Amino acid sequence: MIRMQEVTKVYDGGIVAARDVSLDIQKSEFVFLVGPSGSGKSTLIRLLLREEDITKGKIWVAGKDITAIPAWKVPYLRRSIGTVFQDFKLLPNKTVAENVAFALEVLGRPPEVVRTQTTQVLELVGLPGKADRYPRQLSGGEQQRVSIARAFVNRPPILLADEPTGNLDPATSVGIMRLLDRINRTGTTVVMATHDHAIVDAMRRRVVQLERGRIIRDQAAGRYDSSVVQVGD
Amino acid sequence: MSRFLYLLRDALVNLRRNALVVSGAVLAVLVSMSLALGALMVNELVRVNLIQWQEGTHVIVFLKDEQAGVTRASQRALRAEIERWPQVESTEFYDKSDALEEFRQIFAEQPALLEEIDPALLPASIRIRLHDIADYRQVEFQLAGEAPVRRVRSLGERIDELSAVSNVLNGLGLVASLVLGVSAVVLIANTIRMAIYARRDEVSIMKLVGAGNWFIRVPFVLEGLIEGVVGAGLAVLAVWLASDRLASVEQSVEIVRLSLPTDFFLRWGVLFVLFGAAAGVLGSLLGLRRFLRV
Repeated sequence: MIRMQEVTKVYDGGIVAARDVSLDIQKSEFVFLVGPSGSGKSTLIRLLLREEDITKGKIWVAGKDITAIPAWKVPYLRRSIGTVFQDFKLLPNKTVAENVAFALEVLGRPPEVVRTQTTQVLELVGLPGKADRYPRQLSGGEQQRVSIARAFVNRPPILLADEPTGNLDPATSVGIMRLLDRINRTGTTVVMATHDHAIVDAMRRRVVQLERGRIIRDQAAGRYDSSVVQVGD
Repeated sequence: MSRFLYLLRDALVNLRRNALVVSGAVLAVLVSMSLALGALMVNELVRVNLIQWQEGTHVIVFLKDEQAGVTRASQRALRAEIERWPQVESTEFYDKSDALEEFRQIFAEQPALLEEIDPALLPASIRIRLHDIADYRQVEFQLAGEAPVRRVRSLGERIDELSAVSNVLNGLGLVASLVLGVSAVVLIANTIRMAIYARRDEVSIMKLVGAGNWFIRVPFVLEGLIEGVVGAGLAVLAVWLASDRLASVEQSVEIVRLSLPTDFFLRWGVLFVLFGAAAGVLGSLLGLRRFLRV
């Protein structure tokens, strides 16, 4: 589903955020990208969305080389990838329902489809009664549920999450992880950047560890901390 | 079609929810357009008055007509009497058709107005040229007692200086309207551009969800268009009302004309609203340009 081949990203000013990263992610996998701040997790996610141009290497998403698509086709790429961020990125002037519906309006879905799918997905994320609220009227956990609802409403094959629990307390984070796990079980590939040890250790999924832009560990059913795993091995 | 309706609805909803920023933009349009149109109005008033002043008439006596019981004979008798007064150099008699002719000359650029005017409503008048314009108060006083007189208008002293000043005013007025008009367009475009800058995060979120550039652009452009049209419309209305208020004191001022024909406002009004619309659209497109690069 996602294939990176010797991906290198050098920002203006010479900072190397990714160095020869090669990674294969299969359909319906759940992958954690872990590592300290500045290790390159967010950069990989931005490269997958074509928010940044790649310096060297190639990236395929669903069989397409996204480093070669023209700028005007980038919106189509983004429609096939749901995104969830630490800061939620909700539109402040739109209600919960309008925020979720926006992802469908972009696709030009007819109004009745927009309405029913929005209602359904808000039920799925556990916010059926909050459709007419504005983001500022919701708690952090609720806002993150809205952003997950928006990311998932058009059933994209891939969902990217960049520190989705970074602003949430542990109890709320568990709820968010249950939701992402549920979405993953529908066959959606989930890639999540995090440095939340507890979550990674509890989920026991594939862990890709980055350090200074390089992959230093890629392990199935891993834990956050590699030394613990090595002892176990 | 349903897509355009969604985008239009989106624009209207945004206008309502961003009321503060929107009213700021509308106010910017309103103020700058009012100034430009006001300058044009003053300019037009100066032009209209100049024509009258340069006729060389110092005192105009408007006469009552047959309907008020004043016959042509008594009008002529009054003129003969005035010509005997020592202060008077010469007089001219303007009957209703002369009045219409003069009206045509002054409002030559407003044909719609000319079609509407009823010639019967324009009063006949006697135009008086004095030996010494300083005597006008005395002449006015003498005229006040005459039965056929409906109203007297005097142009007062220093008419030559006035018309020299008017010439300068006329030129300044044209320059001012031009400068204000151009700065209005720039100010409007810039205000809307700033409003979009404040919402650049929204634009980046829309892009992240996969919205195409036109999908993002259309509501913003419609918002700018509406702000420009509403602001310009209000400006036209405001200046028109102000002019109406000004015209209502015309009678007490007497010397100068203060009223302008409806046609003047319709003509410039349409143009100003179009300018407002163009500035709004331009501002939106300029404001979005740098945020829409993928």
